[in-house]
Amino acid sequence: MHYLWWYVPYLTAPMLIAGIAVLHVLVSHYAVGGGLFLAVETGYAYRTGNGAYLNYLRRHSAFFVLLTVAFGAITGVGIWWTIGLSSPLATEFLIRTFVFGWATEWVLFVVEILSAFIFLYYWDRLPAKTHTAVGWIYAIAAWLSLVLITGITAFMLNSGNWAKDPGFQNFWSAFFNPQFLPQTIVRTGGALLLSSLYVYLHASLTVGEEQLRTIIARRASRPAFLGVVMVILGGLGWFLSLPDLSRAALASAAVLNLMMALIIALTLLLTALLYVGPFRNPAWLSPGFAGTLLLFGLAAVGLGEFVREAVRKPYVVHNIVLGNQVFAEEVALLREDGFLQNGLWTYAWLAEKWPELIVDGRVVYQSLLKLPPKDRLLVGRAIFLHHCNDCHAAELGYSAVGPLLQGRSREMVRLRVEHLDEHYSMPPWSGTPEELELLTDYLMTIKQPLPAALRVWRHSGSEEVDLR
Amino acid sequence: MTDPASLIQQQLASPLPAPVWLVQTFKTLGFALHAVLMSLWYAGLPSALVLRFLGSEPARFQGRRLIRQMPVIIALGINLGIVPLLFLQLAYYKAFYSATILVAWFWLAIVVLLLPAYYGVYAYAWQERGAGRGLISLRATAAWAAAVLLLVIGFLFAHGFSLMDHVERWPKLWQAHSIAGAALGTALNFGDPTLWPRWLLMFGLALETTAAWLVFDAFWLSKRRDNPEQTQWTWRFARRLYTLGMLWFVAAGSWYVFGSWTEELRRTMFRWPFWPLTLLAAISAGLPWLLIMTAERRPYKRLLSALIALGQIGVLLANAVSRQAVQNVNLKPYWDVFAQTTAIQWGPILLFLVTLCIGAVVVAWMLVQLKRRPALG
Repeated sequence: MHYLWWYVPYLTAPMLIAGIAVLHVLVSHYAVGGGLFLAVETGYAYRTGNGAYLNYLRRHSAFFVLLTVAFGAITGVGIWWTIGLSSPLATEFLIRTFVFGWATEWVLFVVEILSAFIFLYYWDRLPAKTHTAVGWIYAIAAWLSLVLITGITAFMLNSGNWAKDPGFQNFWSAFFNPQFLPQTIVRTGGALLLSSLYVYLHASLTVGEEQLRTIIARRASRPAFLGVVMVILGGLGWFLSLPDLSRAALASAAVLNLMMALIIALTLLLTALLYVGPFRNPAWLSPGFAGTLLLFGLAAVGLGEFVREAVRKPYVVHNIVLGNQVFAEEVALLREDGFLQNGLWTYAWLAEKWPELIVDGRVVYQSLLKLPPKDRLLVGRAIFLHHCNDCHAAELGYSAVGPLLQGRSREMVRLRVEHLDEHYSMPPWSGTPEELELLTDYLMTIKQPLPAALRVWRHSGSEEVDLR
Repeated sequence: MTDPASLIQQQLASPLPAPVWLVQTFKTLGFALHAVLMSLWYAGLPSALVLRFLGSEPARFQGRRLIRQMPVIIALGINLGIVPLLFLQLAYYKAFYSATILVAWFWLAIVVLLLPAYYGVYAYAWQERGAGRGLISLRATAAWAAAVLLLVIGFLFAHGFSLMDHVERWPKLWQAHSIAGAALGTALNFGDPTLWPRWLLMFGLALETTAAWLVFDAFWLSKRRDNPEQTQWTWRFARRLYTLGMLWFVAAGSWYVFGSWTEELRRTMFRWPFWPLTLLAAISAGLPWLLIMTAERRPYKRLLSALIALGQIGVLLANAVSRQAVQNVNLKPYWDVFAQTTAIQWGPILLFLVTLCIGAVVVAWMLVQLKRRPALG
């Protein structure tokens, strides 16, 4: 509304964020946990004089740098790209609040990159103590960067007292929000667990020697178990620190119930497999077994990220920015004064297309309803794109509205939109009654017909009407 | 036609968390440092590949060195790009978001193209390091493809940022590439007269920077730094490369200033207080060029090579500051960046500065450890 809206057919623009973010998270957690693993294990290999293990760690470091410094870094940049394109209002707000948190994180990235390359390129060229210290520099910088970004993403899920009390509207209150600690614990645990799973897969593909594989399997299982404990404890804290809104969303959406059940099941299954596999029977560490472990781990983390995003709805930033790029505090004004009127680009679009609808800088809403049917539908589509398309495709695609409206009469659709916020996870309707009529007209044109098998129960009076 | 001024909202969501001058300093300094490394992959990668395949033994050695340095250069270059982008979004968000949304698919393509480009560089660089084996011709092809992709990425950046600076172009592009007022993200800003010279100008600076890096590397970092044949070759090559870069810069810069700037912008940039800045951006490359042209016959070559490198950073900084001034002048009719209110976040600023100092000490400690080891390659 405040910004130009980017229409991405079928997928919706914010789903691009989700796609890139999930890919990034799967590697960025490894970037943190893997750093800790390499620092601890390199020190251990030097101390015990285990040349074979040291040699393996060197090979693993090359794999680690190749995956995290390149793929991890670029997908991280990709998140920046997509949030600016798909969610500019929330990005603007977050940058204004946390810019120096991000700048601090940037310093840590510089340290990470340099220490990662030095750790790898100067293997065998630095004294053991110095080499291990460089590994620890990487590990600490990477973990601190996790802490910093978690403070920001956790704020998006629970902004604490920000919206209620201006005294809390500052960087520190925002950063140390109720979700900060639990999410930091979960993410640290997830990083430790995932890194062990990456190590298992890498070792199963590159290490043939039995004894070395046993060492790797047993050594890597320790951070994995610690990770599991942290994920469980942090996960409980996460649940307890959820805002009411998110808990209600979690309880009411079957798909989220299923995902939560899957996350718990995968975590338990992983724990069991880690125990009977790498810990008790290191010889089981075949590429198939290790690949399955990693797949389960990635699935659990990926699902966790999806749930975290989903329970944030209807907000992008809890209590502050709604999913449809509207500040929560603006809703009353928009209902009174108009969505199209107050949208910078929607107003310009209307003024360009139908200048006669603008009098003294104001949209004449009554005249909107007198437009020819084709134009009314176009205005309705504009409202749909700017008010709804953040989360919903039109006829077909991600969470498409067309199938959701199957079998509903015009009145039912109108009431549904008017009382959007009475359904969990939906932002409130933010327009005038006239805009509501126009949007309803448009929605009726994209509504999908009810499947024939379901029509047998319908009363004859509720036949669907095609407005197209 | 829609008034472009109406497409930028003057009302602010919240005040700036730092003074505008500080934001501009971080943005400009960050861009200059990013430009140093970006130049090395922009012009350095194709130069290195040419040297590697066509040159004499010293040329091949230098080409090999540059290629092997590339993964670190790219990693740090991308990282340094975060700084200007972060502070750009902080202070210029009203112009930045809408401009990039108009060209969204091309803007997003930067990230998509960067991934294969980066791995293409790795494929070849790690083979040169001896870490990768086999498929040499495929790896070389990947590196050439990466060089082309990086040039395309540079163009896409110029494409997005030139549109950000020219709000007057938005209405037409928006109306041609939208549906019910929502952008399709398919607009192309090819009609912008500043786009092409702006892109080419950066390539000229990149050639100069690569030349300056080569002499610095040859005298400070290379294991052949005491080999007269190698250092002499590097001087001669760098001299030619810098001269080519400077001629390129002069040609593209003249086109940019006299062929694409509006009369009003030119008047502003040639008037006090901007004229010294415009002049400095235009002629600053002369100093490193003079040093590089004459240094071969002088003693203290090591010191001179460091001065050339520093001088080139100065050239990039002068250009970055000048570009910042041009951006402010271009945007002023629509968005006065200095008119923003501020509510300074002293604590977080301090956190950043303290972390920056600690980070600098840690990096310095690591580099000192390396200095005691034999040079790589």
